[in-house]
Amino acid sequence: MTKRKGSWRGAVVALALGTALTGRAFAGEEDDLQRQIDTQKSSVVDLERLDELKAVGDEIALLRSWLDEAWNLRAKHEYDQVRDVLDRALKQEDLIRAKIIVSKLRAQEQRHEAALKDLNNRIARTRKALQDTVDKKKAIERTNS
Amino acid sequence: MRPKSAFGRAQLGLFGVILAVGAACATPPKPRELEVYDVLRQNNQARLPDISKRSPDLVAEAERRSGAAHDEWQSNDLDECRANALLAQIKLKTAIALYDQDQLKAQIQSLSSQESHAQEELAGLSKDLASEQEKLALLQKYVDARKTAEADKAQAMTEQQKAQAEQEKLSQQLAAEQKIATAQLAMRTADTVEAAQYAKADYTAATDLLAKAQSALKASDFTSAQAAADAAKRSADLAAAAAKPQYEQAEESSQNKARNEALARDAPTIPGVKVRIDPRGDLQRLVIVVPELFTKREPNIAAGHDMVLDGIAGLLKKYPNYPVQVIGYTDNRGRSTELIALSAARAQAVYSALAERGVDTKRLMVSGLGGEEPFTDNRSSAGRAKNNRVEIVFLYH
Repeated sequence: MTKRKGSWRGAVVALALGTALTGRAFAGEEDDLQRQIDTQKSSVVDLERLDELKAVGDEIALLRSWLDEAWNLRAKHEYDQVRDVLDRALKQEDLIRAKIIVSKLRAQEQRHEAALKDLNNRIARTRKALQDTVDKKKAIERTNS
Repeated sequence: MRPKSAFGRAQLGLFGVILAVGAACATPPKPRELEVYDVLRQNNQARLPDISKRSPDLVAEAERRSGAAHDEWQSNDLDECRANALLAQIKLKTAIALYDQDQLKAQIQSLSSQESHAQEELAGLSKDLASEQEKLALLQKYVDARKTAEADKAQAMTEQQKAQAEQEKLSQQLAAEQKIATAQLAMRTADTVEAAQYAKADYTAATDLLAKAQSALKASDFTSAQAAADAAKRSADLAAAAAKPQYEQAEESSQNKARNEALARDAPTIPGVKVRIDPRGDLQRLVIVVPELFTKREPNIAAGHDMVLDGIAGLLKKYPNYPVQVIGYTDNRGRSTELIALSAARAQAVYSALAERGVDTKRLMVSGLGGEEPFTDNRSSAGRAKNNRVEIVFLYH
């Protein structure tokens, strides 16, 4: 009987200790997830600043919604889901950065195309002016020969 | 609408059960996330190999997630399906973006290269254009200068032609004026021979033509003026030529008359002589009677008569063109032949005396008429002395 009593006590202590340890672990994970969410939110601000051409507005909005979703899941202690969402959000950040680079490169390409087009136009005009000048010169030479 | 029998109700119930089971076993609608992924993949199907080559891990991950999402969809595990579809989308989109980056970088590099070439070409063309434009400008300048020179030349030629025309006009005017002056001179010449009197028709024609020439000159019709002046000169010359002989004759007559008158005035100034005019027909005779040069029957001139002989010689020299007779006379006492010889000898003596005084003897004709043509009565000695004389006769018309 005493032995059974002692085992019960041990079990209760172990349960209490386990509960305490588990709660502390949960509290640490929540803080860590919150830091991750805050870090990613600040990253979103950076991304918005980088997106000078406003090319990835939709993707950033989606990212924000996911971070809000992660925040809400964290509040519900759905940590696994929070991690999934944060993992997805990190990949979305990578995508957004890649797309921002693409948008800038595309703008650069368009500038180059415009510049090249302008150069080609100038070449065409210059070539025509050159031909006109040569023709005019020949005409004058013919007239005055 | 109500069923008509129990069998009918049973059929209806069975149909409902079948529908419920069918609905429970059917595949759910494809989640939107998966649909979007499929569309994305489909749209990039053509370049997917290249994208996969660029980012094999990302594409493989996307394919894996997509496959899982499809399985989960088929097994109705929609939440997992959506999560995997989203991740597949992100992976594939990232792979596409990276591929696009490479493509754009390559494109930008290509465009930069084309730009460089284009700039080089443009620079070359601009240089050529500048060179051609410079040549054209020089050519234009040359042409302009040539045109200006030609215009100047043309203007100079025009001015030269104008000047030549002006000069020609002046020459014509000068020629006309000279011809008019020549005609006027011819008129003056005609006037000197009194052509107005002796060649009236030609002179009048010359006057009219000269007036016509002057009128034409005033009207700047120099050709007509020259022609009229030439004609006027010809007429004036004709008039002068026609009038000259008559004028000269008249002039000579006039001169002769004057000379004769002068002779008639000068002759009496010789001391010791008597002068008379003795016309015979057309011939005029100025007779200078020199009495008492000789004594008695002497044929030689007595001394003391140098003064009268000098006076006669001077008169003969002063009027050298007159033919002159030196005629000796005597009184009537003696034989006629002796008297004639004596009178001739006395005339010869005077001839010699005059020759000694430098008188041209070619014009002198010597004769002796004896007692012919007595000067006065021979009855008195004084009369006879006067009849013993020598007469110096100037002959003229």
